[in-house]
Parts: sequence; structure tokens; C-alpha cells
Amino acid sequence: MNTTNQHRRTLLKGAISASTMALVATSGLLLPQRLLAHWSTSAFNAETVEDALLALLGQAEEASTTGLNFKVGSPPSYAVNGASVPIEIQSDLKNIERIAVLVDKNPLPLALSIAPSSAVKLPFKSMIKIAEDSEVIAIIRADGQLYKTSRFVEVDIGGCA
Amino acid sequence: MGLVRKDRIRAKLKSGDTTVRILLSHPMHTGRGQNDAGDLIPAQFIQDFRCWRNKEEVLTIECGTATAANPYFSFQLLGGERGDKIAIRWVDNLGAKGTAETTVK
Repeated sequence: MNTTNQHRRTLLKGAISASTMALVATSGLLLPQRLLAHWSTSAFNAETVEDALLALLGQAEEASTTGLNFKVGSPPSYAVNGASVPIEIQSDLKNIERIAVLVDKNPLPLALSIAPSSAVKLPFKSMIKIAEDSEVIAIIRADGQLYKTSRFVEVDIGGCA
Repeated sequence: MGLVRKDRIRAKLKSGDTTVRILLSHPMHTGRGQNDAGDLIPAQFIQDFRCWRNKEEVLTIECGTATAANPYFSFQLLGGERGDKIAIRWVDNLGAKGTAETTVK
């Protein structure tokens, strides 16, 4: 009698602590939150372009398609290897608050979110991964206005592994 | 002692402005790639990148998994002179960090 009770107790205890640990782990409490303080988790984990933009900028409708020069791939709009596709963003806009680069067909579209100070002068060049033939979108927010442009890029070998 | 990191950074004065080129050494695993045994490689990618000129912060970049492996960034800074110190620092999602510094040539 006594031993069965004891046994039941340890079993219960084990089950409870296991379930609480699972809860803690899934809720992300074990992540180093302080390090991630500046990283827009919801924007980068969004699975559509609209969601990512809403989370990042708080608005998704773009005002203008001019004033922004965007190049993807080399030669332009083509990439042999999707794992590193060169991009270049050029603009004459003043007071740029944020530049974002998104790949429409990627599992997680938001690739880069750049916050330049007034000392930074464009062009900005970098490399991104593109999973498959897709629209690549560049967005600039300057003086509270959104400027957006996109290029369709053909990819030979997908690069999101 | 962590991995040997070779982050490269070059800063050059060109017609009055400073051109900065940065090549970080990082695998940028998205969490969807597989190793030779077919197991998923856990996600590890740079999330936060910062750049300073003479202790003044000039640029912040947040990276997602769609930033290419060994991230490359190139941009210009208005003005500047020879001897300016350009410093960078990055942090990835697992908390690994890297720094590099150079002087403008």
C-alpha cells in the first residue's frame, strides 16, 4: 500500500515537472531575450510580405514607386545560384529611416532591415538568398512615406537551404 | 575559445566620402538545410549588425534567414578622413558575437 502510493507520487511529480518544462521551453522563456531586444521577431517570422511589412513598419500600402533604384542579380534579374544573389539599392531620397528587402516566395520573406543614420550614403550593396523564381521587393521609408519597387528574378538553383 | 572568425572590413576614402565594405564570416543556417547525414542543421544566423565611425553609431542592420551565408555589406559614409576608426559588431540568434575594426585609408 505504502510503496504503491510512493510510486504514484514520484510518477505524478515527474509528469508535472516534465509538462511545465515543456511549457517553459515552448513559450520561449529560455531564449536570451535581452540579446534579441532589437530584433523585430514578428516581422522576420512573418510568412507573407504584407504581414512582414505590417509588423516592421506598421503600414503595408506603399505611396510611390519612383525615387528608388533597385538592382538584383548579376546579370540583372537573373541568378545562377540562389544562395547568394547580389542586390544594390540606390536612391536620392532624403531622411531615409529604414530600408527593407523582401523576397516574395521565400518561406520567410524579410531578408534585411536596414536603419541608416544621416551619415550613410547609398548605394547599399549586399547578398541575399532566393529560394525560387520570385519577386524581390525593396522598400524605403523616408519622411514617413513608403517607396517601393520590385524586380522579378529567375533563379537556376534555389538557395534557401 | 570559439571558432576562428575572420570578419573582413575595408574602409577607403574616395572623392571625399568613405566607402566601407564588410565581409562577415558566418554560416547563416536557416534551419531548413540538411547535413550529409540528412539531419536538419539548427538555425543559426546573424540578427543584429551595427557599425560605428569614431564611436558614433552610423548603421544598424537586422538580418533574417534570407541573408546570404558570409554576409557582405557595402555602403558609403558622408565625409570622413584618413585615420577614422570604423568598428562593427554582430550578434547571432544563439548569442554568438563578433567584432572587427579598421581605420580609413
